[in-house]
Amino acid sequence: MKTNDHNKDELEAKLLSRFGAAKPFTVPEGYFETFPNKVMSRIAERKRHRGLVWRWAAAAIFTGCVVTGGMLFESNHNNKQITEAEDIQYIEDALDYSMIDNMSIASYLTEAE
Amino acid sequence: MIDEKALYRQLNDPSTKEAAFACLVREYQEPLYWQIRRMVLVHADADDVLQNTFIKAWGAIDSFRGESRLQTWLFRIAINESLNFLAKKKQVLSLDGSEITGLSINEIADNYYFNGDELQKQFQAAISTLPDKQRLVFNLKYFDEMKYEDMSELLDTSIGALKASYHHAVKKICAFFEEND
Repeated sequence: MKTNDHNKDELEAKLLSRFGAAKPFTVPEGYFETFPNKVMSRIAERKRHRGLVWRWAAAAIFTGCVVTGGMLFESNHNNKQITEAEDIQYIEDALDYSMIDNMSIASYLTEAE
Repeated sequence: MIDEKALYRQLNDPSTKEAAFACLVREYQEPLYWQIRRMVLVHADADDVLQNTFIKAWGAIDSFRGESRLQTWLFRIAINESLNFLAKKKQVLSLDGSEITGLSINEIADNYYFNGDELQKQFQAAISTLPDKQRLVFNLKYFDEMKYEDMSELLDTSIGALKASYHHAVKKICAFFEEND
């Protein structure tokens, strides 16, 4: 075991003596001075975008509810027999009228990079 | 040296969260950058990965409960982002296996932000032949002289496995030069 460890250390020493442990990479001048601003600007942008998305989603849901409510009221007023399939159709129509599709609402409400 | 406890308190306070996070970025950008850069090699890629690391950290900061040091937590995110970046790159370029030797040599040669001599270029080329996770262990031990105990906490891997990984890496690099000398 000791011989094995010695061999391992010897190999590492070989690399160190030949190549050293210097880090040969560099960065553009001023990179680290400007980097924090770059990140914080991206974060601020994300916060603004999130705020807009929530307002859109809220507006879409409100519009959908108003239109759905109106359509249901109208159908009840006419004593029409509304089947379950027609119910679903009314709601889907309402969402179509709000001009936002379900996938868009779902994607706005989920975190996405 | 930053007071992590005070910073953690400020990060948990909505009125000071953003300022505290900016402080976090300033404090840890350099050590994180160099970890990432040694993995992805190219400055522009390291810049992207570093930005994504902090954006991910911002998104997850509310769920950080102080189970580890902030620095350790950030390093873990940076390592995952680096490994994911490399995996995606290999997929896009349809590279086989875990080696990107040819691509790495070209990137090193064309990279303006590299001030090593020909020997250093060869050394980096040899290191780049290692599988990504093994390369990570090699970089942490060889260049940063990180203790195995700290590495074990950072990478959530046993000390024995890390020691084995490092020594295999050293052997491979030595063998690389024996074949190519």
